[in-house]
Amino acid sequence: MGQRLKNKVAVVTGAGRGIGRGIAMLMASEGAAVVVNDLGVQVDGRGQDTSAADETVAAITSAGGEAVQSYESVADFRAAERIIETALKTFGRIDILVNNAGILRDRMIFNMSEEEFDSVVAVHLKGTFNCSRHAAAQMRQQKAGRIISMSSTSGLYGNTGQANYGAAKDGIAGFTRVVSRDLGRYGITVNAIAPGAATRMTATVGDSARQARSRAGVASMGAEARSLLPRPQREADDVAPFATYLASAAAANINGQIFVVMGGIISLLNYPAPVRTITKPTRWTPEEIAAMFPSTLGMDLFNPAPAQRD
Amino acid sequence: MGEMLRGKVAVVTGAGRGIGRGVALALADQGAQVVVNDYGVSVDGREPTSEPANAVVAEIQQAGGEAVANADSVAEWDSAARIIATATDTFGRLDILVTCAGFLRDRMIFNMSEEEFDSVVGVHLKGTFNCIRHAAPIMREQRTGRIITFSSGSGLFGNPGQANYGSAKAAISGLTKVVARDLGKYGVTANGICPVAATRMTLTPEVLKAREIRRQQGIIREESALRQLENLRPEDVGPMVAFLASDFAAGVNGQFFLCAGTSYSLLSLPRAEKTLYKEGRWTLDELDELVPVTLAEGLVNPAPPKQA
Repeated sequence: MGQRLKNKVAVVTGAGRGIGRGIAMLMASEGAAVVVNDLGVQVDGRGQDTSAADETVAAITSAGGEAVQSYESVADFRAAERIIETALKTFGRIDILVNNAGILRDRMIFNMSEEEFDSVVAVHLKGTFNCSRHAAAQMRQQKAGRIISMSSTSGLYGNTGQANYGAAKDGIAGFTRVVSRDLGRYGITVNAIAPGAATRMTATVGDSARQARSRAGVASMGAEARSLLPRPQREADDVAPFATYLASAAAANINGQIFVVMGGIISLLNYPAPVRTITKPTRWTPEEIAAMFPSTLGMDLFNPAPAQRD
Repeated sequence: MGEMLRGKVAVVTGAGRGIGRGVALALADQGAQVVVNDYGVSVDGREPTSEPANAVVAEIQQAGGEAVANADSVAEWDSAARIIATATDTFGRLDILVTCAGFLRDRMIFNMSEEEFDSVVGVHLKGTFNCIRHAAPIMREQRTGRIITFSSGSGLFGNPGQANYGSAKAAISGLTKVVARDLGKYGVTANGICPVAATRMTLTPEVLKAREIRRQQGIIREESALRQLENLRPEDVGPMVAFLASDFAAGVNGQFFLCAGTSYSLLSLPRAEKTLYKEGRWTLDELDELVPVTLAEGLVNPAPPKQA
């Protein structure tokens, strides 16, 4: 057992399985008391099963750690408040929030239903807002805290068939950048991890979808990078050490950043910045832009999915 | 009048005022037939009226262009479908979709209400999705189309007090990147604009007051940026959108452009700046030792803790 998170209280959402479970286990082994939140749904958000959270709690307590289960849905504003209250009522405070709960409902944009879009955005983006909003009020009083949210290369780089998930996950990156500035002055840091791991959730994407994407020439940079890694080297538990590091005192000055964590790879992502600029003193005409563009802004642009002849 | 968009049909949401109006005028000036959509609400989303859309249609027609007004909300799935149907019913097709509609409800995260979050995400993110989703089958069938969304520096760079707006605008960038990959092979492109302009939305008394408070508290230093902002006219964004909507931009897909007045920049996409790598799983001891001198070296906390 380590001491890095001794006397700290953590809430980890979606901690019944996969990446969340690994984070909850490692934080507990570093001394944190952990609220293990999991609604216990299927990957597509259906069904409900309390055993997922129970099993992680049992694993933590049998290893000598402290944990309590929570079955509330992050997607509901009041239920999310009860998740945070579970930390306060059981352990007296909340120092660390890990927004990890999520589901997948892949579909190409021209076939995606309203419900497929709404349900994914509700769990990932709204769920991250809900938990952070309730935790923030408490952490601000304490003048200390850590919020760590899961973004994804799907949104950051763009994965075909994931308009809902990609939007929600890039939304979480934006949320992270804004909220780091809202809360930093109160001693709170807010960062995000875009994990790459072989979990129950990514297993649903399936090799057939990946092959279809690569045949269509629409692989994302994320997928390409992931394909370089043999599967055993990107296990769900590989994300936990860096998440735990961000939660520790050592990371007090890391705020507003997005990291990609896949297996043994940990990357700091850039903030978007102007690459090339054109300017003139008066308003452009579209004709002028068309003439200038290819040799200026448009130089060497990569089209991720070029038009195909039928 | 130019000819770059002759024979094309465009839908511009939020086209009653500000940037959207400038876009609608620019597209019509290049020969496009334009559906001028505006729900006609106040900056915080209240009191709908068809006045703004009608006024822009009149302006386009007076200049010799063709346009039709629509006052449906983008935030509802069915009413967004009616916006798209207005294009196909009136002009027989849809080539260009520009999603400008949006409003602001700034609040620090620890005070933000659920309704403040939902309403802003509902218009910006869901509204953009709704319109794209209804336009996508048409454009896919035609094997051509242009989708131009509006993201914002707020989500990409991080503006305090805008957890709702910053989330929604960053989510639109993620949505745009995915749609670029879903539709690119069908000859459809999707790109995003991050505009910086002095509009009713960015220069409201409330926004100015909130920013002044944040500036006084030392959270932001943007008095100079704000002074510059007043000189950035919303009409300056239109020509760039007209270019992206044209055949000249057929190969531009999945990109983001910062448009600040008459300065246009290509924005960098997310990429790894620094990387730590080892075979297998890191230990906390290793991270304690290595992260400060590698990944975290030189990182600046954008809002460092204040001593009480």
